[in-house]
Amino acid sequence: MFDNIKWLISPEFNQECEEKEIVVSTRTRVARNIEGIPFEIKMKNQDAEKLVQVVKSALEMNFKGKYLDLNKMKPLEKESLFESHLISPAIIKKEQPTAVFISEKGNVTVMVNEEDHLRIQGLSCGLNLTNTASAVYEFEEILGQELGYAYNENYGFITSCPTNLGTGLRASVLFHLPGLVYTNEIDKILKSTYSLGMTVRGLYGEGTEIKGNLFQISNQHTLGFKEDELIEKINKFARMLIDLERKARDVIMKRARFELEDKIYRSVAILRSARLINSDEVLNLLSAVRLGIGLGIINFLEINVLNEIMLITRPGNIQLYYGEILEEQERDIRRAEYIRNRLAKIETT
Amino acid sequence: MLCDDCKKKPASIFFKDVSGGQIKEVHLCEDCAKKKGILSEKKLSPLEVLQKLLKNTSHEDENVICPVCFLNLAEFKKVGRFGCANCLNVFEPYIKTMIKEVQNSEKHIGKRAKPGGRRAIEVFRLKEELRRALEKEAYEDAAQIRDKLKTLGVENV
Repeated sequence: MFDNIKWLISPEFNQECEEKEIVVSTRTRVARNIEGIPFEIKMKNQDAEKLVQVVKSALEMNFKGKYLDLNKMKPLEKESLFESHLISPAIIKKEQPTAVFISEKGNVTVMVNEEDHLRIQGLSCGLNLTNTASAVYEFEEILGQELGYAYNENYGFITSCPTNLGTGLRASVLFHLPGLVYTNEIDKILKSTYSLGMTVRGLYGEGTEIKGNLFQISNQHTLGFKEDELIEKINKFARMLIDLERKARDVIMKRARFELEDKIYRSVAILRSARLINSDEVLNLLSAVRLGIGLGIINFLEINVLNEIMLITRPGNIQLYYGEILEEQERDIRRAEYIRNRLAKIETT
Repeated sequence: MLCDDCKKKPASIFFKDVSGGQIKEVHLCEDCAKKKGILSEKKLSPLEVLQKLLKNTSHEDENVICPVCFLNLAEFKKVGRFGCANCLNVFEPYIKTMIKEVQNSEKHIGKRAKPGGRRAIEVFRLKEELRRALEKEAYEDAAQIRDKLKTLGVENV
């Protein structure tokens, strides 16, 4: 099972990531439904079973990857897939047959029987909207030929919830914005985000808290735009936000350089020597170190290492990493141990 | 580290207040950051907005029902979700304005679904048919179904 989260930290995921000091990752998903099969609220177990089987055969006939039956998986394994952003919290809660397909390269996942029959999702590190979208549409087109999507001339692709009608496309970018948080400009910017038709969420999407200065921004509307227009709109906004974040970082460097350096180096020191550490503290410390790398203050660490630590130290993943169920304090001990060992391999210059 | 304000919850928002020439490090928990207007209050999700809009509408014919999945308008208004692809046609006259309000548009201009192409669905149907034929020991029918499956590119059945 750990193989499935390895891809997120593999060189493949981390190569060619644009703006990775400010953008952690990009996700693009499309929602699709199959004509003739009831939607979530009217679906019987036999419909769900049929859906899982049909999609499985359609995927296996055309793509290489792993098809995982979620109902046969252990809670911890599902938790890990969720923490790795491969599946949503909604699909974990479902009792009916559900499945997830993870492409060979690990850049595309297909959730089967979430809120919609299909949620095809493309993932990448850094700002990479165009590539994630084209990877998603390669799957979308072939699966459409095999399965036949529910479609309406006026409203486009028919989704379980009317808020996804039209393109069914949701593109989201996970930003790391400590500069704008430190300079207290974040609220003003987030307000403008809403008025520009975009939504802000925490690390794990809708309803999740904002932690570690991480903000997920995605398009609010799915109808009335062409797919590439939506992608371009978010791309433009992302570029603007990156620019504002850079300016904010310059301001802090000018006004509070030593305080900032102190905080960054102390964060590295805690990560290198802590004996007990919880996952939220890790996010906050990593935020400071990530900022340090972005500002050129820290040059002995790679962003990829931070991404790896962020992923492995989540509560589910750390247990899976050590291969055992751990109580909270035991997790904090093992998490600290993992980080110490990971950073011990890296020389400080 | 605990929040500077409430001193109860762990601080998750850290920033340096550099206003007025003074540098002060501030540590706040999520709730106190919201109270101070540093973080926005949670916005309603699009589904919540839709449900709120639907709740405020009244229709005489709340029993209008989708003949395919049997979801009625009253139920739809409660959950804000369709029961099947046909629900959109049935409820469209009643929910048109709400869709426009939530989506800021009423017309899809993006990619269109390609007509035809339901091979995997057809393969699934034929495999089920084959299984039933074999159960009944109707071997002639089974042979015909196998041929159909072969034409769809499925070997080894």
